[in-house]
Amino acid sequence: MTPVLALKSVSKSYGRVQALQKVSFDVPAGRVCALLGANGAGKSTLIRTLLGLETPDSGTTHVLGMDSRTHGLEIRRRVGYMPEKPALYDWMTVAETGWFTAGFYPSGFQNVYEQYVRHFQLDPRQKIKHLSKGTRAKVALSLALAHKPELLILDEPTSGLDPLVRREFLESMVDVAAEGRSVLLSSHQVSEVERVADMVVILLGGELICIDSLDELKSSTREIVATLPDMGTEPPPVPGQVLAHAQFGHEHVWLARGIAEEQLAERWGLPEGSAFHVQTPSLEDILLALLREYRRSPGVRPATSEAIRS
Amino acid sequence: MHLHLDPSNGLPIYEQIARHVKFAVANQLLQIGEHVPSVRDMATRLAVNPNTVARAYRDLQAAGILTPIRGTGLAVTPDAPGRCQAERLGLIRTRLRSVLTEAWQNGIAVDELRSLFDDELSQLATAGLATAAR
Repeated sequence: MTPVLALKSVSKSYGRVQALQKVSFDVPAGRVCALLGANGAGKSTLIRTLLGLETPDSGTTHVLGMDSRTHGLEIRRRVGYMPEKPALYDWMTVAETGWFTAGFYPSGFQNVYEQYVRHFQLDPRQKIKHLSKGTRAKVALSLALAHKPELLILDEPTSGLDPLVRREFLESMVDVAAEGRSVLLSSHQVSEVERVADMVVILLGGELICIDSLDELKSSTREIVATLPDMGTEPPPVPGQVLAHAQFGHEHVWLARGIAEEQLAERWGLPEGSAFHVQTPSLEDILLALLREYRRSPGVRPATSEAIRS
Repeated sequence: MHLHLDPSNGLPIYEQIARHVKFAVANQLLQIGEHVPSVRDMATRLAVNPNTVARAYRDLQAAGILTPIRGTGLAVTPDAPGRCQAERLGLIRTRLRSVLTEAWQNGIAVDELRSLFDDELSQLATAGLATAAR
């Protein structure tokens, strides 16, 4: 099956700022893929490149099997896209916005749009300029969903919204996923991502530093806390791929993947008089550790795991 | 059935969902022959990925807790209450073990732990009586 998204060695720079550096990955159909990374990591540039709104300096992107460079318009027609700051006409009403946008899509758009307007309990007669931030976002989401797109792309859809609206957005995403359609979600709400994502893509400084299924990433990563007898003692190397290491006095904390459990059981050579325990970190812990470690020693990719199979 | 999920508590979400269902069966909130919500309903209600719910349901089927009823969904099996009650004790034991390990590592004496345990238990019992009387 063709992946819904395919990026091959995509690079893009604005002046001296390298927004994307040789980013390659695929997203198979029917997944909820979360795009994570600090502000300025290149997430929005990546999304805009996919939609053909930016031209990459090199590399290719395909969406639903179409080349973004040549088929941008067709891609934007087939995909549901909600930008971080949705551009709506302030002087139109909620109903007029749907009617106006319907003109760009096949028939049926307005019907579904009106269903969402009722679902989100919006007042169709209200002018866009009088809407609150949350209500405005609901209009934008209704527009993005009204042509029942195979792929929904959301660029920080819930930033600055109240918990109730965020929850409604999550439910809509789940609904899309339940129908076997795909979602690409860029977000800083890590706990939300943890609920809905099948796979995560982590960008940092324009580089892809991790792509994995969420289950796999979480189940293979452990946090090891060891207390050594004194400050001077060097801890033995942790049996696994270390993502991050921090020292607080004579306490050491590691975040590591693929740990050899049997070596851990034999205390992997910890000196006499030390103690340790192992914890399961949350996605937020993992993300923070990756970003910090990378910031300390850029160029060393801590966790580029193999791309998702299937 | 009300479920509270904590995505970042270290336990995978599908495991948390499966546990909730098992506890509900053990507590007879879900009885033999009753249906669990469909994957889609449950996923929307919890705002989690539908695949996660599907995985929890698959695990529950494999464990003989749920069984598909043609055309209507998944229902609680006759064997489920016994299995879930047995497992409930096992899960509590695991939780207790991790608390005890933590206490042990922090050098709390056995006697102290025992009196702490009894103390908490009697407090719970008093609180339980108070609620029952109300």
